[in-house]
Amino acid sequence: MHRRTLLVALLAAVLAVPLGAEAQKPIKVGMPMPLSGPPALFGDPASKGAQMFVDEINAKGGVLGRKLELIVRDSKADANEAVRQARELILKDNVEFLVGTLTSAEGPAVSVVAKENKIVFIAPIPKTDQLTAPDKLHPYIFRVASNTTIEGRSAAEIVAKWPVTKVATMSFDYAYGQDVTKQFVEHLKKIKPGVEIVDQQWPKLGEQDYNPFINAQMAKKPEAVFSSIWGGFFVTYSKQAKAVGMFDALKYHFIGVGEAATPETTKSMGADYPVGIWGNSYDAFYWGDTAAHKDYVARLSKYLKDEYPSSWAIQGYIGMQFLAEAIKKAGTTDSDKVARALLGLTVETPMGPLTIREKDHQANRGQLFGKTVKDPKYPFAIMKPVTYVDPTKFMD
Amino acid sequence: MFLFLIAAGLSLIFGVLRVLNFAHGTFYMLGAYATFQLVQWLGVSGGRFWLTALGGALAVAALGGLIERLLFRRLYGKDELYQLLFTYALALILGDAAKMLWGTQQKSVSRPPELTGALHLFGATIPHYNLFIILLGPAIALAFWLVLQRTRAGRYIRAAALDRETLGALGVNVDALYTWVFVLASFLGGLGGALISPMRATTPGMDTEVIVEAFVVVVIGGLGSFWGTFLGALIYGQVLSFGILFFPRFSIFAVFALMAAVLMVRPWGLLGRPLR
Repeated sequence: MHRRTLLVALLAAVLAVPLGAEAQKPIKVGMPMPLSGPPALFGDPASKGAQMFVDEINAKGGVLGRKLELIVRDSKADANEAVRQARELILKDNVEFLVGTLTSAEGPAVSVVAKENKIVFIAPIPKTDQLTAPDKLHPYIFRVASNTTIEGRSAAEIVAKWPVTKVATMSFDYAYGQDVTKQFVEHLKKIKPGVEIVDQQWPKLGEQDYNPFINAQMAKKPEAVFSSIWGGFFVTYSKQAKAVGMFDALKYHFIGVGEAATPETTKSMGADYPVGIWGNSYDAFYWGDTAAHKDYVARLSKYLKDEYPSSWAIQGYIGMQFLAEAIKKAGTTDSDKVARALLGLTVETPMGPLTIREKDHQANRGQLFGKTVKDPKYPFAIMKPVTYVDPTKFMD
Repeated sequence: MFLFLIAAGLSLIFGVLRVLNFAHGTFYMLGAYATFQLVQWLGVSGGRFWLTALGGALAVAALGGLIERLLFRRLYGKDELYQLLFTYALALILGDAAKMLWGTQQKSVSRPPELTGALHLFGATIPHYNLFIILLGPAIALAFWLVLQRTRAGRYIRAAALDRETLGALGVNVDALYTWVFVLASFLGGLGGALISPMRATTPGMDTEVIVEAFVVVVIGGLGSFWGTFLGALIYGQVLSFGILFFPRFSIFAVFALMAAVLMVRPWGLLGRPLR
């Protein structure tokens, strides 16, 4: 009798070992993200933000008793490469989830892979409306980034309050530039019917000489300009515009979306930044409305060893945060159950509570907007007052 | 005019060394980065911008000399495909090296305080800095033409372009001459990058952007032809600007259409000479 008990106990132990090991295996998450070329400027900090979240949650014991493991691969900001990396992550590395991609070309391409493989895919940065448009939507795609509707309309809400009627636009001639400009123009005309669009310029993506565009545009005498020239391209554009006195002529009625007012941009331009214009950013280390955000910035600053940490890390962080919360809520890593858990899920992010809407799998992620000013506390311009524009009321 | 500086170096290397240098755009990028670095150390005020721009261009020229001595030397007379692959690889390696040194974050250089004003002319505003560049272009072109036509070194360079062996047989150190030509071409590329840095962001990837434009310029003007390159740069700028004014969506197309037309009518470029 005694011996049999021992035998059963032994058998149970043998059986339990693989089960226990299974529970201890990490939950693998694949992240295709541009780590080379100009877009690495955003992809690199975003992947580090995600890694910081993973390190923090693992230190607290992980999710469902399992650790998270993040595998980052360079997508080279190329749709084909992003697809190849996503496939490899699924087949070779056996990742159970995908969080990643940056450009509006990569996002929709990887979304197709996620659909084929029935793997939950959370896009933290691509903004094109196409990604979650009704004909492209499937049960496994979710977006925690802003989108072109939200961004264009947020800018329109601000411009509508200016004492101007003649407005011009300057955007790159491709999906993002066209979509965000269209939303801006339509929404502005709707909320302020007297507005007239006097000129629209469409330089090619990556243009280096904006002088002909600026001259042609200023000849139409606009009172305000909306631009979606983003990243390093904004540095080039605004330097050339400042040299011909465009911002003075507009009395600083200028709004730059595409993150024209990130601390990174104002920092790299220093005294050349056209201080006084309006711009936006996903995050800003000096935006300190909540204790949660202050705490996040302090941790990030330590993690990146940077006094003024990147405003892009937040997107990787939030993407992973939604995934972890959904797995917790589902109580399993089963794709279908996690996908269902994400619908309507509200997460307390450092930016405040965000919710993924059931109807289009889009989070109500707004951005920080503000007028740039010089602040003696920092060696570069900051947005002040800086406001988080909550898009909930104009997302449809 | 920047395009002229860059394309002139490209054309010079091809004209004399018979190598199509795909890494030439990289010299332009490195010129901008080197200037940024010097500006970080010295600042731009009190005429120091000119010092940093010159220093940046000289640093690139020195690097160019080193690359010619160690690597390019082996390429002369080889297959064009081989040359293109090699110089392309060089562009990638140097591009990554720049990224390791300066990171992926964009860098910015201020305009020199002497030239921050602007000129108002017929309702248009032309910044003083741009005006300076517009004047500098033809001045450099003229200086180079004089060096090539009137000096002993210029005669050697022209002779080397025509017949390398005979020149060597006449007792001229052709190896050293080639190195100096390469140094000069790198200097032009570096200077282009140094002078454009106050007008744009310095970022990884600016090397490959410019090389395509420089190729268009030299193809239109004629590979290896000096005034052809000058003419090519002018035509490129005009077609692009007027294209933007009249048919904004087709301005790039207009430039390439022009290039295709030139290639069909005069495959050796407007002022080039047919290859033997």
